[in-house]
Amino acid sequence: MELLCCEVDPVRRAVRDSNLLGDDRVLQNLLTIEERYLPPCSYFKCVQKDIQPYMRRMVATWMLEVCEEQKCEEEVFSLAMNYLDRFLAGVPTPKTHLQLLGAVCMFLASKLKETIPLTAEKLCIYTDNSVKPQELLEWELVVLGKLKWNLAAVTPHDFIEHILRKLPQPNDKLPLIRKHAQTFIALCATDFKFAMYPPSMIATGSVGAAICGLQQDEDVSSLTGDALVELLAKVTNTDVDCLKACQEQIEVVLLNSLQQCREEPGEAAKAEEDVDQASTPTDVREIDL
Amino acid sequence: MSEQSGDPRPIPRNSRVCRCLFGPVDSEQLRRDCDALMASCAQEARERWNFDFVTETPLEGNFIWERVGGLGLPKICQGPRDDLGGGKRPSASSALLQATAQEDHVDLSLSCTILPRSPEQPEGSPGVPGTSQGQKRRQTSMTDFYHSKRRLIFSKRKP
Repeated sequence: MELLCCEVDPVRRAVRDSNLLGDDRVLQNLLTIEERYLPPCSYFKCVQKDIQPYMRRMVATWMLEVCEEQKCEEEVFSLAMNYLDRFLAGVPTPKTHLQLLGAVCMFLASKLKETIPLTAEKLCIYTDNSVKPQELLEWELVVLGKLKWNLAAVTPHDFIEHILRKLPQPNDKLPLIRKHAQTFIALCATDFKFAMYPPSMIATGSVGAAICGLQQDEDVSSLTGDALVELLAKVTNTDVDCLKACQEQIEVVLLNSLQQCREEPGEAAKAEEDVDQASTPTDVREIDL
Repeated sequence: MSEQSGDPRPIPRNSRVCRCLFGPVDSEQLRRDCDALMASCAQEARERWNFDFVTETPLEGNFIWERVGGLGLPKICQGPRDDLGGGKRPSASSALLQATAQEDHVDLSLSCTILPRSPEQPEGSPGVPGTSQGQKRRQTSMTDFYHSKRRLIFSKRKP
Protein backbone atom coordinates (compact mmCIF):
# COMPACT_ATOMS: atom_id res chain seq x y z
CA MET A 1 0.00 0.00 0.00
CA GLU A 2 1.30 3.43 -0.86
CA LEU A 3 0.89 6.27 1.54
CA LEU A 4 0.07 9.73 0.37
CA CYS A 5 0.99 12.77 2.38
CA CYS A 6 -0.50 16.09 1.51
CA GLU A 7 -1.95 19.22 3.05
CA VAL A 8 -5.21 18.40 4.70
CA ASP A 9 -8.25 19.78 2.95
CA PRO A 10 -11.05 19.68 5.52
CA VAL A 11 -13.55 18.93 2.78
CA ARG A 12 -13.99 15.39 1.60
CA ARG A 13 -15.33 14.84 -1.84
CA ALA A 14 -16.67 11.75 -3.49
CA VAL A 15 -14.82 10.58 -6.55
CA ARG A 16 -16.59 10.90 -9.87
CA ASP A 17 -18.84 7.91 -10.27
CA SER A 18 -18.12 6.40 -13.64
CA ASN A 19 -21.25 4.27 -13.38
CA LEU A 20 -23.39 7.37 -13.23
CA LEU A 21 -21.42 9.29 -15.81
CA GLY A 22 -21.23 6.37 -18.19
CA ASP A 23 -24.93 5.66 -18.13
CA ASP A 24 -26.78 7.72 -20.70
CA ARG A 25 -30.03 7.50 -18.73
CA VAL A 26 -28.60 9.89 -16.15
CA LEU A 27 -27.99 12.56 -18.76
CA GLN A 28 -31.37 11.95 -20.35
CA ASN A 29 -33.12 12.28 -16.98
CA LEU A 30 -31.30 15.51 -16.26
CA LEU A 31 -32.41 16.85 -19.63
CA THR A 32 -35.98 15.79 -18.93
CA ILE A 33 -36.30 17.42 -15.53
CA GLU A 34 -34.08 20.48 -15.88
CA GLU A 35 -36.78 22.89 -16.96
CA ARG A 36 -38.94 22.24 -13.93
CA TYR A 37 -36.53 24.37 -11.98
CA LEU A 38 -36.45 27.43 -14.20
CA PRO A 39 -38.07 30.61 -12.91
CA PRO A 40 -41.50 30.68 -14.55
CA CYS A 41 -41.35 34.28 -15.74
CA SER A 42 -39.18 37.28 -16.34
CA TYR A 43 -39.93 38.80 -12.98
CA PHE A 44 -38.63 42.32 -13.55
CA LYS A 45 -41.54 42.88 -15.91
CA CYS A 46 -44.35 41.09 -14.18
CA VAL A 47 -43.61 40.69 -10.45
CA GLN A 48 -41.03 43.05 -9.01
CA LYS A 49 -41.72 46.76 -8.57
CA ASP A 50 -38.73 47.80 -6.50
CA ILE A 51 -35.99 45.51 -7.74
CA GLN A 52 -34.15 46.42 -10.94
CA PRO A 53 -31.90 44.21 -13.08
CA TYR A 54 -28.77 46.02 -11.90
CA MET A 55 -29.66 45.14 -8.30
CA ARG A 56 -29.76 41.49 -9.19
CA ARG A 57 -26.30 41.90 -10.68
CA MET A 58 -25.10 43.61 -7.50
CA VAL A 59 -26.38 40.91 -5.19
CA ALA A 60 -25.14 38.18 -7.56
CA THR A 61 -21.66 39.68 -7.64
CA TRP A 62 -21.61 39.84 -3.87
CA MET A 63 -22.80 36.25 -3.58
CA LEU A 64 -20.12 35.09 -5.99
CA GLU A 65 -17.48 36.89 -3.95
CA VAL A 66 -18.71 35.25 -0.74
CA CYS A 67 -18.70 31.81 -2.38
CA GLU A 68 -15.20 32.35 -3.72
CA GLU A 69 -13.79 33.71 -0.49
CA GLN A 70 -15.32 30.78 1.37
CA LYS A 71 -14.11 28.39 -1.33
CA CYS A 72 -17.57 26.94 -1.72
CA GLU A 73 -18.16 24.09 -4.13
CA GLU A 74 -18.70 25.33 -7.66
CA GLU A 75 -22.39 24.56 -7.82
CA VAL A 76 -23.32 26.44 -4.64
CA PHE A 77 -23.38 29.83 -6.34
CA SER A 78 -25.39 28.67 -9.37
CA LEU A 79 -27.83 26.83 -7.14
CA ALA A 80 -28.26 29.83 -4.85
CA MET A 81 -28.99 32.04 -7.86
CA ASN A 82 -31.57 29.52 -9.01
CA TYR A 83 -33.32 29.78 -5.61
CA LEU A 84 -33.13 33.58 -5.74
CA ASP A 85 -34.65 33.77 -9.21
CA ARG A 86 -37.40 31.29 -8.41
CA PHE A 87 -38.30 33.17 -5.23
CA LEU A 88 -38.31 36.54 -6.97
CA ALA A 89 -40.48 35.12 -9.77
CA GLY A 90 -43.22 34.56 -7.21
CA VAL A 91 -42.82 37.08 -4.42
CA PRO A 92 -42.68 40.88 -4.85
CA THR A 93 -39.73 41.90 -2.69
CA PRO A 94 -38.42 45.29 -1.60
CA LYS A 95 -34.81 45.92 -2.49
CA THR A 96 -33.82 46.23 1.15
CA HIS A 97 -34.61 42.52 1.54
CA LEU A 98 -32.55 41.47 -1.45
CA GLN A 99 -29.23 40.93 0.28
CA LEU A 100 -30.89 38.93 3.06
CA LEU A 101 -32.55 36.84 0.38
CA GLY A 102 -29.20 36.26 -1.32
CA ALA A 103 -27.69 35.19 1.99
CA VAL A 104 -30.56 32.79 2.68
CA CYS A 105 -30.19 31.25 -0.78
CA MET A 106 -26.46 30.69 -0.22
CA PHE A 107 -27.26 29.24 3.21
CA LEU A 108 -29.63 26.69 1.67
CA ALA A 109 -27.49 25.84 -1.36
CA SER A 110 -24.44 25.38 0.83
CA LYS A 111 -26.32 23.05 3.17
CA LEU A 112 -27.48 20.98 0.23
CA LYS A 113 -24.12 20.71 -1.50
CA GLU A 114 -21.32 21.00 1.06
CA THR A 115 -19.87 18.84 3.77
CA ILE A 116 -19.03 21.92 5.84
CA PRO A 117 -21.81 24.39 5.07
CA LEU A 118 -21.72 28.14 5.53
CA THR A 119 -23.11 29.17 8.90
CA ALA A 120 -25.82 31.75 9.46
CA GLU A 121 -23.45 33.80 11.59
CA LYS A 122 -20.79 33.94 8.90
CA LEU A 123 -23.26 34.97 6.23
CA CYS A 124 -24.54 37.76 8.44
CA ILE A 125 -21.02 39.08 8.90
CA TYR A 126 -20.74 39.15 5.12
CA THR A 127 -23.78 41.46 5.01
CA ASP A 128 -21.76 43.75 7.27
CA ASN A 129 -24.14 42.72 10.05
CA SER A 130 -27.08 44.44 8.40
CA VAL A 131 -28.91 41.14 8.86
CA LYS A 132 -29.18 39.17 12.10
CA PRO A 133 -28.74 35.38 12.22
CA GLN A 134 -32.24 35.17 13.72
CA GLU A 135 -33.71 36.93 10.70
CA LEU A 136 -31.76 34.71 8.34
CA LEU A 137 -33.21 31.61 10.00
CA GLU A 138 -36.74 32.99 9.85
CA TRP A 139 -36.39 33.79 6.18
CA GLU A 140 -34.91 30.41 5.52
CA LEU A 141 -38.34 28.96 6.31
CA VAL A 142 -40.04 31.55 4.12
CA VAL A 143 -37.82 30.75 1.14
CA LEU A 144 -38.20 27.00 1.69
CA GLY A 145 -41.96 27.38 1.78
CA LYS A 146 -42.10 29.47 -1.36
CA LEU A 147 -39.79 27.06 -3.20
CA LYS A 148 -42.01 24.23 -1.94
CA TRP A 149 -38.90 22.67 -0.39
CA ASN A 150 -37.88 21.80 -3.91
CA LEU A 151 -34.17 22.44 -3.60
CA ALA A 152 -32.49 19.78 -5.69
CA ALA A 153 -32.54 21.94 -8.80
CA VAL A 154 -30.54 21.03 -11.88
CA THR A 155 -27.71 23.45 -12.59
CA PRO A 156 -25.34 23.74 -15.56
CA HIS A 157 -22.64 22.12 -13.43
CA ASP A 158 -24.59 18.86 -13.45
CA PHE A 159 -23.94 18.55 -17.19
CA ILE A 160 -20.26 19.42 -17.35
CA GLU A 161 -18.85 15.96 -16.73
CA HIS A 162 -21.36 14.34 -19.05
CA ILE A 163 -20.39 16.72 -21.83
CA LEU A 164 -16.64 16.46 -21.26
CA ARG A 165 -16.76 12.69 -21.44
CA LYS A 166 -18.24 12.82 -24.91
CA LEU A 167 -15.48 15.00 -26.32
CA PRO A 168 -12.34 13.65 -27.99
CA GLN A 169 -10.00 15.73 -25.82
CA PRO A 170 -6.47 14.96 -24.81
CA ASN A 171 -7.05 13.95 -21.20
CA ASP A 172 -4.46 16.27 -19.71
CA LYS A 173 -6.40 19.29 -20.98
CA LEU A 174 -9.67 18.33 -19.34
CA PRO A 175 -9.04 20.02 -15.96
CA LEU A 176 -8.25 23.29 -17.71
CA ILE A 177 -11.32 23.10 -19.92
CA ARG A 178 -13.44 22.20 -16.90
CA LYS A 179 -12.18 25.18 -14.92
CA HIS A 180 -12.81 27.62 -17.72
CA ALA A 181 -16.27 26.20 -18.34
CA GLN A 182 -17.09 26.55 -14.63
CA THR A 183 -16.03 30.18 -14.72
CA PHE A 184 -18.27 30.83 -17.70
CA ILE A 185 -21.17 29.19 -15.87
CA ALA A 186 -20.65 31.44 -12.85
CA LEU A 187 -20.52 34.48 -15.11
CA CYS A 188 -23.79 33.42 -16.72
CA ALA A 189 -25.46 33.13 -13.32
CA THR A 190 -24.64 36.77 -12.59
CA ASP A 191 -26.45 37.85 -15.77
CA PHE A 192 -30.24 37.72 -15.77
CA LYS A 193 -30.28 37.10 -19.52
CA PHE A 194 -29.35 33.48 -18.81
CA ALA A 195 -31.72 32.90 -15.90
CA MET A 196 -34.37 31.32 -18.09
CA TYR A 197 -32.12 29.34 -20.41
CA PRO A 198 -32.03 25.59 -19.88
CA PRO A 199 -29.01 24.70 -17.72
CA SER A 200 -27.89 22.13 -20.30
CA MET A 201 -27.58 24.84 -22.92
CA ILE A 202 -25.57 27.08 -20.61
CA ALA A 203 -23.30 24.15 -19.82
CA THR A 204 -22.86 23.23 -23.46
CA GLY A 205 -22.22 26.83 -24.47
CA SER A 206 -19.74 27.23 -21.63
CA VAL A 207 -17.75 24.18 -22.65
CA GLY A 208 -17.77 25.42 -26.23
CA ALA A 209 -16.61 28.87 -25.19
CA ALA A 210 -13.93 27.39 -22.95
CA ILE A 211 -12.49 25.23 -25.73
CA CYS A 212 -12.64 28.06 -28.29
CA GLY A 213 -10.85 30.39 -25.93
CA LEU A 214 -8.15 27.94 -24.98
CA GLN A 215 -7.64 26.70 -28.50
CA GLN A 216 -6.14 30.03 -29.49
CA ASP A 217 -3.07 29.46 -27.35
CA GLU A 218 -2.65 25.73 -27.37
CA ASP A 219 -4.10 22.62 -28.85
CA VAL A 220 -6.75 21.49 -26.38
CA SER A 221 -9.16 19.86 -28.76
CA SER A 222 -8.96 17.81 -31.89
CA LEU A 223 -12.38 19.10 -32.85
CA THR A 224 -12.93 22.79 -33.44
CA GLY A 225 -15.31 25.19 -35.08
CA ASP A 226 -18.54 23.91 -36.51
CA ALA A 227 -17.63 20.27 -35.96
CA LEU A 228 -17.23 20.94 -32.24
CA VAL A 229 -20.48 22.87 -31.96
CA GLU A 230 -22.32 20.11 -33.77
CA LEU A 231 -20.96 17.44 -31.47
CA LEU A 232 -21.77 19.53 -28.37
CA ALA A 233 -25.27 20.21 -29.61
CA LYS A 234 -25.85 16.51 -30.10
CA VAL A 235 -24.77 15.63 -26.56
CA THR A 236 -27.44 17.79 -24.93
CA ASN A 237 -30.04 17.76 -27.73
CA THR A 238 -29.62 21.48 -28.25
CA ASP A 239 -30.35 23.18 -31.53
CA VAL A 240 -27.06 24.05 -33.28
CA ASP A 241 -28.02 27.64 -34.05
CA CYS A 242 -29.26 28.22 -30.50
CA LEU A 243 -26.05 26.82 -29.14
CA LYS A 244 -23.96 29.11 -31.35
CA ALA A 245 -26.03 32.10 -30.25
CA CYS A 246 -25.72 31.07 -26.61
CA GLN A 247 -21.96 30.65 -26.88
CA GLU A 248 -21.67 34.08 -28.46
CA GLN A 249 -23.71 35.60 -25.64
CA ILE A 250 -21.48 33.90 -23.09
CA GLU A 251 -18.41 35.35 -24.76
CA VAL A 252 -20.02 38.79 -24.76
CA VAL A 253 -20.68 38.48 -21.02
CA LEU A 254 -17.02 37.69 -20.43
CA LEU A 255 -15.97 40.61 -22.59
CA ASN A 256 -18.30 42.97 -20.71
CA SER A 257 -17.11 41.85 -17.34
CA LEU A 258 -13.49 42.27 -18.40
CA GLN A 259 -14.24 45.74 -19.74
CA GLN A 260 -15.92 46.62 -16.48
CA CYS A 261 -12.75 45.54 -14.75
CA ARG A 262 -10.67 47.87 -16.86
CA GLU A 263 -13.02 50.81 -16.40
CA GLU A 264 -13.14 50.65 -12.63
CA PRO A 265 -9.59 49.84 -11.60
CA GLY A 266 -10.42 49.67 -7.91
CA GLU A 267 -13.27 47.28 -8.42
CA ALA A 268 -11.34 45.56 -11.16
CA ALA A 269 -8.47 44.43 -9.04
CA LYS A 270 -10.97 42.94 -6.67
CA ALA A 271 -13.00 41.25 -9.36
CA GLU A 272 -9.96 39.73 -10.99
CA GLU A 273 -8.62 38.65 -7.66
CA ASP A 274 -11.92 36.98 -6.98
CA VAL A 275 -11.98 35.28 -10.32
CA ASP A 276 -8.52 34.00 -9.57
CA GLN A 277 -9.47 32.59 -6.24
CA ALA A 278 -10.94 29.23 -5.48
CA SER A 279 -11.05 26.91 -8.39
CA THR A 280 -11.49 29.40 -11.19
CA PRO A 281 -8.83 29.61 -13.85
CA THR A 282 -6.05 32.13 -13.46
CA ASP A 283 -5.71 33.01 -17.08
CA VAL A 284 -9.32 33.61 -17.92
CA ARG A 285 -8.67 37.28 -18.60
CA GLU A 286 -6.11 36.36 -21.21
CA ILE A 287 -8.75 34.81 -23.37
CA ASP A 288 -8.86 36.91 -26.49
CA LEU A 289 -12.24 36.75 -28.08
CA MET B 1 -3.72 32.67 8.67
CA SER B 2 -5.73 33.29 11.76
CA GLU B 3 -7.57 30.20 12.89
CA GLN B 4 -10.50 31.26 15.01
CA SER B 5 -12.24 28.57 17.02
CA GLY B 6 -11.37 25.83 14.56
CA ASP B 7 -13.18 27.38 11.61
CA PRO B 8 -11.42 25.98 8.57
CA ARG B 9 -12.44 28.99 6.51
CA PRO B 10 -12.42 32.10 8.65
CA ILE B 11 -13.43 35.39 7.10
CA PRO B 12 -10.23 37.27 6.29
CA ARG B 13 -9.64 40.34 8.40
CA ASN B 14 -10.89 43.49 6.66
CA SER B 15 -12.48 41.41 3.94
CA ARG B 16 -13.90 43.68 1.26
CA VAL B 17 -16.70 41.21 0.69
CA CYS B 18 -18.32 42.18 4.01
CA ARG B 19 -20.59 44.96 2.90
CA CYS B 20 -24.17 46.14 3.06
CA LEU B 21 -25.55 46.49 -0.47
CA PHE B 22 -28.86 48.30 -0.25
CA GLY B 23 -28.74 50.38 2.89
CA PRO B 24 -30.07 49.66 6.35
CA VAL B 25 -32.61 46.86 6.73
CA ASP B 26 -35.87 47.66 8.50
CA SER B 27 -36.26 44.86 11.04
CA GLU B 28 -39.90 45.69 11.64
CA GLN B 29 -40.73 45.40 7.96
CA LEU B 30 -38.72 42.19 7.72
CA ARG B 31 -40.77 40.73 10.54
CA ARG B 32 -44.10 41.82 9.05
CA ASP B 33 -43.21 40.47 5.60
CA CYS B 34 -41.91 37.25 7.11
CA ASP B 35 -45.17 36.68 9.04
CA ALA B 36 -47.28 37.47 5.99
CA LEU B 37 -45.30 35.13 3.76
CA MET B 38 -45.34 32.33 6.32
CA ALA B 39 -49.10 32.72 6.59
CA SER B 40 -49.45 32.48 2.83
CA CYS B 41 -47.23 29.37 2.81
CA ALA B 42 -49.48 27.82 5.47
CA GLN B 43 -52.54 28.70 3.42
CA GLU B 44 -51.06 27.14 0.30
CA ALA B 45 -50.19 23.97 2.20
CA ARG B 46 -53.69 23.92 3.68
CA GLU B 47 -55.29 24.05 0.26
CA ARG B 48 -52.83 21.63 -1.27
CA TRP B 49 -53.28 18.94 1.37
CA ASN B 50 -56.73 19.78 2.74
CA PHE B 51 -55.20 19.81 6.17
CA ASP B 52 -54.84 22.61 8.68
CA PHE B 53 -51.23 22.27 9.78
CA VAL B 54 -51.61 24.86 12.53
CA THR B 55 -54.42 23.14 14.39
CA GLU B 56 -53.62 19.70 12.96
CA THR B 57 -57.15 19.18 11.68
CA PRO B 58 -58.06 17.37 8.50
CA LEU B 59 -60.32 19.35 6.18
CA GLU B 60 -62.66 18.38 3.40
CA GLY B 61 -60.79 17.49 0.21
CA ASN B 62 -58.91 15.05 -1.97
CA PHE B 63 -57.02 13.39 0.83
CA ILE B 64 -58.37 11.23 3.60
CA TRP B 65 -56.41 11.79 6.78
CA GLU B 66 -56.33 9.19 9.50
CA ARG B 67 -54.64 8.88 12.83
CA VAL B 68 -51.89 6.32 13.16
CA GLY B 69 -50.40 5.29 16.50
CA GLY B 70 -47.46 3.33 17.75
CA LEU B 71 -45.11 3.94 14.88
CA GLY B 72 -42.19 4.04 17.25
CA LEU B 73 -41.08 7.38 15.91
CA PRO B 74 -37.65 8.44 17.09
CA LYS B 75 -37.40 11.13 19.76
CA ILE B 76 -36.38 13.77 17.27
CA CYS B 77 -39.82 13.65 15.64
CA GLN B 78 -41.63 14.14 18.91
CA GLY B 79 -40.35 17.22 20.60
CA PRO B 80 -39.84 20.87 19.77
CA ARG B 81 -36.96 21.28 17.38
CA ASP B 82 -35.63 24.72 18.05
CA ASP B 83 -32.05 23.65 18.46
CA LEU B 84 -31.24 23.45 14.77
CA GLY B 85 -29.15 25.80 12.73
CA GLY B 86 -27.28 27.31 15.60
CA GLY B 87 -30.09 29.52 16.85
CA LYS B 88 -33.55 29.34 18.26
CA ARG B 89 -36.35 29.70 15.78
CA PRO B 90 -38.56 32.57 16.80
CA SER B 91 -42.10 31.86 17.79
CA ALA B 92 -44.07 33.89 15.29
CA SER B 93 -42.81 32.05 12.24
CA SER B 94 -42.78 28.63 13.77
CA ALA B 95 -46.45 28.15 14.42
CA LEU B 96 -46.28 24.81 12.71
CA LEU B 97 -43.60 23.54 15.02
CA GLN B 98 -44.97 25.02 18.18
CA ALA B 99 -48.55 24.00 17.77
CA THR B 100 -47.58 20.37 17.85
CA ALA B 101 -44.77 20.56 20.31
CA GLN B 102 -46.85 20.39 23.45
CA GLU B 103 -48.67 17.21 22.59
CA ASP B 104 -47.69 13.63 22.26
CA HIS B 105 -46.69 13.61 18.65
CA VAL B 106 -46.88 9.88 18.21
CA ASP B 107 -50.60 9.89 18.86
CA LEU B 108 -51.09 12.80 16.55
CA SER B 109 -49.30 11.22 13.62
CA LEU B 110 -51.42 11.10 10.55
CA SER B 111 -51.29 9.30 7.29
CA CYS B 112 -53.05 10.40 4.19
CA THR B 113 -54.38 8.67 1.12
CA ILE B 114 -55.89 10.12 -1.96
CA LEU B 115 -59.64 9.90 -1.93
CA PRO B 116 -60.61 7.22 -4.46
CA ARG B 117 -62.59 9.32 -6.86
CA SER B 118 -62.84 8.45 -10.50
CA PRO B 119 -59.84 10.21 -12.04
CA GLU B 120 -61.39 10.09 -15.51
CA GLN B 121 -63.89 12.76 -14.53
CA PRO B 122 -61.98 15.55 -12.92
CA GLU B 123 -64.94 17.96 -13.07
CA GLY B 124 -67.00 15.51 -11.07
CA SER B 125 -65.11 15.91 -7.81
CA PRO B 126 -67.58 17.70 -5.58
CA GLY B 127 -67.10 20.57 -3.21
CA VAL B 128 -63.35 20.92 -3.04
CA PRO B 129 -62.36 24.47 -3.77
CA GLY B 130 -58.73 24.99 -4.66
CA THR B 131 -57.91 21.33 -5.06
CA SER B 132 -59.09 19.35 -8.00
CA GLN B 133 -58.23 16.02 -9.49
CA GLY B 134 -56.29 17.94 -12.08
CA GLN B 135 -53.50 18.39 -9.59
CA LYS B 136 -52.67 14.73 -9.63
CA ARG B 137 -52.00 14.91 -13.30
CA ARG B 138 -49.95 18.04 -12.91
CA GLN B 139 -46.64 16.39 -13.68
CA THR B 140 -47.52 15.48 -17.23
CA SER B 141 -48.99 18.82 -18.10
CA MET B 142 -46.10 20.70 -16.49
CA THR B 143 -43.61 18.79 -18.60
CA ASP B 144 -45.59 19.43 -21.72
CA PHE B 145 -45.75 23.09 -20.93
CA TYR B 146 -42.03 23.32 -20.39
CA HIS B 147 -41.25 21.61 -23.63
CA SER B 148 -43.26 24.11 -25.56
CA LYS B 149 -41.65 26.93 -23.67
CA ARG B 150 -38.22 25.62 -24.48
CA ARG B 151 -38.97 25.81 -28.15
CA LEU B 152 -40.27 29.31 -27.66
CA ILE B 153 -37.09 30.43 -25.96
CA PHE B 154 -35.03 28.90 -28.71
CA SER B 155 -36.87 30.52 -31.53
CA LYS B 156 -36.77 33.89 -29.82
CA ARG B 157 -33.07 33.78 -29.43
CA LYS B 158 -32.30 33.33 -33.10
CA PRO B 159 -31.03 36.56 -34.51
